[in-house]
Amino acid sequence: MPGRLAGKRILVVEDEYFIASDLRRALDAEQAVVVGPVSSLAAGLELAEREGIAAALLDVNLEGDSSLAIADRLAARGIRFVFVTGYDAWALPDAYRHVPRIAKPFAVSTVLAALDQLLAPEDVP
Amino acid sequence: MRMEPRDETSLMATLARKNAVLEGINRIFHEALTAPSLEALGRVCLRVAEDVTGASFSFMGEIDRATDLLDEIAISERGWAAFEAAKSDWPQGEVPTGLTIHGLYGRVLREGKALIFNDAATHDDRIGTPAGHPPLESFLGVPLHQNGAVLGMVGLGNRPGGFRDEDLAAAEELAPAIVQALHSKRAEMALRDSEEQRRLTLELVPAMLWRVDLAGLRIASNQQWHAITGQTDEQASNGGWMELIHPSEAGKVSRAFRRAYAAGEPVTVQCRVRQAEGGYRAVLIRQVPVRDGAGQITHWFGAATDISDMHSLEERQRVLVAELQHRVRNILTVVRSVFARTVEGSESLEDVADHFRGRLDALARTQVSATLNASGTVDLENLIRDELLSVGVSDGPGLIMAGPDVALPADAVELLGLAIHELATNALKFGAFRAPGGSLSIAWDVNVDGRSARRLDLSWTEQGVPAVPIQPTRQGFGTELIEEALPYRLGAETRLEFRGGGVRCTIGLPLGGDEEGA
Repeated sequence: MPGRLAGKRILVVEDEYFIASDLRRALDAEQAVVVGPVSSLAAGLELAEREGIAAALLDVNLEGDSSLAIADRLAARGIRFVFVTGYDAWALPDAYRHVPRIAKPFAVSTVLAALDQLLAPEDVP
Repeated sequence: MRMEPRDETSLMATLARKNAVLEGINRIFHEALTAPSLEALGRVCLRVAEDVTGASFSFMGEIDRATDLLDEIAISERGWAAFEAAKSDWPQGEVPTGLTIHGLYGRVLREGKALIFNDAATHDDRIGTPAGHPPLESFLGVPLHQNGAVLGMVGLGNRPGGFRDEDLAAAEELAPAIVQALHSKRAEMALRDSEEQRRLTLELVPAMLWRVDLAGLRIASNQQWHAITGQTDEQASNGGWMELIHPSEAGKVSRAFRRAYAAGEPVTVQCRVRQAEGGYRAVLIRQVPVRDGAGQITHWFGAATDISDMHSLEERQRVLVAELQHRVRNILTVVRSVFARTVEGSESLEDVADHFRGRLDALARTQVSATLNASGTVDLENLIRDELLSVGVSDGPGLIMAGPDVALPADAVELLGLAIHELATNALKFGAFRAPGGSLSIAWDVNVDGRSARRLDLSWTEQGVPAVPIQPTRQGFGTELIEEALPYRLGAETRLEFRGGGVRCTIGLPLGGDEEGA
């Protein structure tokens, strides 16, 4: 049975190749459409700006750059996202503490469940 | 000072002598106030003693209770002049110490009373004089007493015609004044020392200290509040210091102090204080009440400690911990992915164990070498040699390595190390390190592209390897690493060919920065 992710465009911003690749494989298996993955802040910003995106997975630290600017751009467009990060909540600025966060190292199923939650219709009780 | 009138001349002489003694005592107390040292005061006392007794030279000394030896405090100016005239090689101005108590002066000290020896040159108790000492003809010694104990003496030498009883009496009359003057000088010097010590201590304490009285008058105990804020005592008084507190914290600080004043209790508050040079510094302020014997508060004592550095260290530590956490979790995630891929590409458990161990070791090596120097860079040739060594290959006729020194940036070390590891493992199992006539050439150079960005061009070329059928599953991880991961993570351009004669791999890796970076 196709899940909620099938056909959904999911942005993946992650600088580690192997992690990005794992995420892409998992999303492929769910028949989601992967936008990216990209490893740099600049590339992430560009995709967040112009691509049609249903949801996003964001690594917080991109080769030493913070990806929070991408988060801001997505939020401005009303696109929801999940942080996939090695940082604990305390290491993030206050404004982002409410964002769903998946701690590395993660199980792929956790990421998929978080995306599923994000894409669930909000009016369902 | 009993006067025994005889005839008028004698009376006048006695009066003159008493007067001289009184004048001398007056001089001693007067000079005691300004003498810069104990020795200087000693010289003043000796000059007075010489004046009233007619002695030619003199010394003053005190007994060191710990050693029972005599330390001289001073030698009179006439004494030094006599030494000079006698062509003494005694160093001028250096007062002798540690003298054995014996001879004529020893008798004065031991007997505790003033003695005249007008036959000093021939007396049975004489011990002679040191080389350079002017010849001693007559000697008058007067002990210095304090609380009944002999603490030292004044020794007077060579009165023309010898010392008389009235000289002895005059010297004895001076002695208590000398003791008193020395005593006050010592006390004054000790006080000055402790004052100085107190002042230094207050300056050295790394805190701004002050007292504030009940009327609000604030007096700094050291210069630090002024040094940091530029405020004078007058400006800081009557709550003036509150104007320097950061506006967002002024309410909190003012409330804390009002509460403390009302309850007569200590107050502790953290806030930021405006510096004279602009900007704020974080400080910890404490103020405690000081009470009199009846328990009434007489004033308050306050201290502010600069905690800005501590704050920034804490912040830095927070960043470092977060960074470490991030790195550890990232590498674990990478290890996990590498493991999953190793399992996918292997045919047996031994295969998995073998390959995974090799890759984990390669990751570990790159972690170690990247932390060897502070910049996190790693020498490319060392990185390559480490990986070759890990598969048992070092220099040999079949191995050619050539290239300049390259400091690899930290973020490239991990993946490039893994890539070299995969190439080396492959060469050992199927390629140049296995084939009898096989050879390997690793060559690299740093080139600057059109936009003046530095780029490392590295080639790995195996030769003389008989063509073997490539098993794609075996190549899975290494191929993905070189063809996908290096371009994705490092923006590298890579090419991997399995061709007749052996593997050829080229990697073009941006080094970042400009040409200074190497």
